[in-house]
Amino acid sequence: MSGSDPVLSPSPLYWPVQRQRNRGVRALFCVVAAFVAIYAYLFPGLLSIGGLSKFCQSWFPLALVSMAQAILMLTGGINLAIGATVSLGAVIAATTMSGPLGAPGAIAAVAFAGLGIGAICGLIVVRLRLPAIIVTLAGSFIIGGMALLVLPRPGGEIPAWFSDFLAGGTPVAALLLALIVLAWKLYLATPLGLSLYAAGENPVAAYRSGVPVDAARIAAYAISGLLSTGAGLYVAAQTGSGDPVIGQAFTLNSIAAAVLGGVGFLGGHGTMRGAIAGSLLLSVMVNVMFFLGFPPVAQYVAQGLIIIGAVALPQIGARGRRA
Amino acid sequence: MSDAGATPLFVRRAALFLRSGPFLTVLVVAAVWIVAGLTMAGFGSYGHLRYMLELAAVIGLVAAGQTLVVIGGGIDLSVGAIVTVSAVGVPLLPWDADASGVAAVLAILAGATGIGLLNGLGVAFLRVHPMIMTLAMATFLQGVLIIVAGGSAVSMHNPLVAWLGEARPWGVPAGIVLWVVVSLLTLLILHATPFGARIFALGANPLATSLSGVDVRVTTMAIFAASGLTAGLAGVLMLGMNGQGYVGIGDPYVLASIAAVVLGGTSILGGSGTYAGSIPGSALLVTITALITVVNASPGWRSILFGSLILGLLLLSGRESRRR
Amino acid sequence: MSVPIIAARDVSKSFFGNRVLREVSIELRAGRIHALLGENGAGKSTLINLLSGALPPDEGSIEVDGAAVDHFTPSEARRAGVAVVQQELSLTSQLSIGENIGLGAYPIRFGLVDYKALARRTRAACAMVGLDEDLATSVGDLPLGRRQMVEIAKALYREPRALILDEPTSSLSAHETQTLTRLLERLRAQGVAILYISHRLNEVMALCDYVTILKDGAVTADRELAGVDADGLVRLMVGRDPGDLFPKWTPNVEGKTIISVRGFSCGMARDIDLDLRRGEVFGVGGLVGQGQEDLILGLYGARSASARVAEFNGDSGVPDSVLKANALGLAYVPADRKREGLHLIHTISFNMLLPGYGRARGLTFRDRTNERDLARSLAGALSIKGDLTRPVQALSGGNQQKVALAKWMPNKPAIWLLNDPTRGVDVETKREIYGLLRGFAAEGAAVLLSSSDTPELVHLCDRVAVMREGRIVARIEQAELSEEAIVAAAMGANLAERAA
Repeated sequence: MSGSDPVLSPSPLYWPVQRQRNRGVRALFCVVAAFVAIYAYLFPGLLSIGGLSKFCQSWFPLALVSMAQAILMLTGGINLAIGATVSLGAVIAATTMSGPLGAPGAIAAVAFAGLGIGAICGLIVVRLRLPAIIVTLAGSFIIGGMALLVLPRPGGEIPAWFSDFLAGGTPVAALLLALIVLAWKLYLATPLGLSLYAAGENPVAAYRSGVPVDAARIAAYAISGLLSTGAGLYVAAQTGSGDPVIGQAFTLNSIAAAVLGGVGFLGGHGTMRGAIAGSLLLSVMVNVMFFLGFPPVAQYVAQGLIIIGAVALPQIGARGRRA
Repeated sequence: MSDAGATPLFVRRAALFLRSGPFLTVLVVAAVWIVAGLTMAGFGSYGHLRYMLELAAVIGLVAAGQTLVVIGGGIDLSVGAIVTVSAVGVPLLPWDADASGVAAVLAILAGATGIGLLNGLGVAFLRVHPMIMTLAMATFLQGVLIIVAGGSAVSMHNPLVAWLGEARPWGVPAGIVLWVVVSLLTLLILHATPFGARIFALGANPLATSLSGVDVRVTTMAIFAASGLTAGLAGVLMLGMNGQGYVGIGDPYVLASIAAVVLGGTSILGGSGTYAGSIPGSALLVTITALITVVNASPGWRSILFGSLILGLLLLSGRESRRR
Repeated sequence: MSVPIIAARDVSKSFFGNRVLREVSIELRAGRIHALLGENGAGKSTLINLLSGALPPDEGSIEVDGAAVDHFTPSEARRAGVAVVQQELSLTSQLSIGENIGLGAYPIRFGLVDYKALARRTRAACAMVGLDEDLATSVGDLPLGRRQMVEIAKALYREPRALILDEPTSSLSAHETQTLTRLLERLRAQGVAILYISHRLNEVMALCDYVTILKDGAVTADRELAGVDADGLVRLMVGRDPGDLFPKWTPNVEGKTIISVRGFSCGMARDIDLDLRRGEVFGVGGLVGQGQEDLILGLYGARSASARVAEFNGDSGVPDSVLKANALGLAYVPADRKREGLHLIHTISFNMLLPGYGRARGLTFRDRTNERDLARSLAGALSIKGDLTRPVQALSGGNQQKVALAKWMPNKPAIWLLNDPTRGVDVETKREIYGLLRGFAAEGAAVLLSSSDTPELVHLCDRVAVMREGRIVARIEQAELSEEAIVAAAMGANLAERAA
């Protein structure tokens, strides 16, 4: 996640800081690597361009919503409306893509909707001081209702060329993900981005230090919304149409991936690279299960168990060492 | 807190009561009922109000356990799945030998409590965050339910459940009687026992609570088990009222129970609150839903209205003060 | 005389009708170290909040360079060159030292944080306070004392004209305190105005030029420090003679050993042999963060610990849970009372009764009358005044600590474990706590007192063990107890290391 980064000038502080951050997630990276290796062993096709592209496509939306969740958890919030927001992004894309403005117009509409919804949620949470969990839970009804208004039943249309471009046999998804990660790194290098941690861990002290706490948190909500509707756009491209309830599963999975990646619930703890690794771990697990022939319903069961297991295992391990 | 010495105690108590969340919620419910009763035909009729209270009883039962969990600093997102488990489970249990149907109900309630206990075990011993633990439990249960029950509705032939759904001892629906009993028990446990005090302590500061010699694990497991039990009761009651259960029947109760708890003035951060607020909170939610149904809008608009009204009421009923 | 850099003129401030400051005036002048003294609850924190713009005064005004400023906000204060080192650290544990120091005032290039300039400027600030850690180290990895130094560096990074330090030394080691002292003297020479708040009078006497004393929100002294002695200062703070801060030490009847461990290890604490007898106050000294906390929490069953041989109140083995420890008669009073000791949002009486709720078994009912009587008698015994249904966060720090102590008294603990119970506590409350501890011992309880306040160990304890790097490096009997002996044992190797 912290490969070479040409935009930032080399500095005696930036890279050591990045190395420090990697230290916390090294164990996770090893686990992820092990799982990817198992997957590659079971499914050697993974190691081709096509196989890799297919895998990245299945991973990409989850990676986006995990980032969307992690950024809010870093500020001490949570977003239970991610699933609904993904659905909204999908139906907006499916209804506007074949409209007069075409793909660019649809992308702009999706981005605008995501930023706007996120910012409104953020304003309500931050300015009116309501708990994030309640606002986003109520928000999930409002946003889900809007998705139903845009498209009452599955339908709409995504042009074939657009689907092919994003979700065809090319590694476009991987490239997009790299770009998004790069953009995130740039954001984290701005004063507003770096303020996220301080605003999440100790908002009062951060305010006294001159950090624009409210702005940092509202911006986090807006970015979270943008990433969520972006994931919706991608899901619509994958399926070729829109579905007003397609995003539901993403709420749980985004939280699970962020938590697997070591992002804490109390704010200010965790890293984005951890959350992305967590989402990778989750998608590899799902793919392995699919490959081993689990029926889709049994995957629900297994997923529930795996999430608990993965979160609890470090605890059990720690206890074993102590005893 | 202000000029404490000057005003007599009962005046301060009264002022505190008038400003308390539970009382304000009751006021809001009463106001909505009066306005709606005057403006909409049939809304204010005795039958309709009684029906709304019956619906509120289901939410109120789920909210009873949810209140304990939220005050204890947790949250239970698996209540919806547990309601479904019990509504689908009773008809599926092959216990025809027991004519009264008591055994099947007891077995399901034990199962629901067991699921809650498992949640508590995960939170207390594996230190999984409550939100993750209960969400994962909900996912797990959803998978199991689809495997066991499939997509179709199952009808029940359980005399006890049917009685619960239809009987009206002294003219009051049995469901409401059940709610009253559970409410009294919950209030007693919460405010009149050391166990209740432990819940308040746990939610306010778990570390200090455990260092003060409170068995935090047992307390945690107990509140989640209680939440499982009340969700199971709600499922049985709903089955009785509906006559059949299906996968997904309990889904609305996750948000509804949390909203009822928070609308009633309980802090979502834990440590403070009361079930006395969740009771009018449940009634308020049912009232909102009834109003939205009367408006006769599309599913999309209904969903938007529901979410917006909850947000708006939250703003009215007071904001969470900053606490750290 | 020059114009003060920042001053408060006749400021008053009330919270909930409770007047915290009454017509207080204070002037911070360039090149002067100004001490602000007062007991907890005297209004020091509020005054600092006014001077740093965090709160507006109800009456009176804040002046910058002699001119009154109408709406003095935190950003206004920063522009005026006021920097505050708060008592409660404002650091972000996930960020590095460098990112923390620059927080809120990052150098920017092309819209991005200029890490190069940040490194250069933070390095300069760190050098001033003697922080030699790698700038990329996460603050979360630093011990408390070093974090305090980061906090000070953070203030220096803003190149303040007026520097306000609220109890900066409460978590510093003697060595770090020395570094800070030299730094403040250098800043004074450079013409910075410094406001210094501390409960350690000897530090104040050695360092400061001028003193303002607050008592119950009003100024009782505002004068040059020269010519006042420590006793005189305390008299002005508490309004009575300080001679009896410590109870007269009298040996208690030598009791039998109640805790005995051999080869006890827990976290940082390694291979510790310890015998704790009934009727004694056993002190644990040393620099901050040498494993004292692990020792206490390990004995209390709150952290997993091991021992070759262990006997607790007739039971063999180290308690494996707090519940077990409580059953064996142990009680624990933490240093960080807000985190580990109290339920801030709950009432005073709730906090006092909590261990009782923990002991209750099964579904019994609470006896409100009994509860009220018990809470009242505890409050009476510890002179906690006022309505017991107020939330505990409404109390001053000293009174909060008394509640954290009081809650164990109904248990009649046989063994008290106390971790720095007087940190950040005013003189009057300290005196009461000392009396209580000697009283517990006299009644036959064993008291284990870990403290960073050396006089406390000298005057209160029957024996003192000094810890360094997780091990007990010295044991000193009452007859040989002196501050010098403890400090020497605590720092011995450390000084040599740092000098090398």
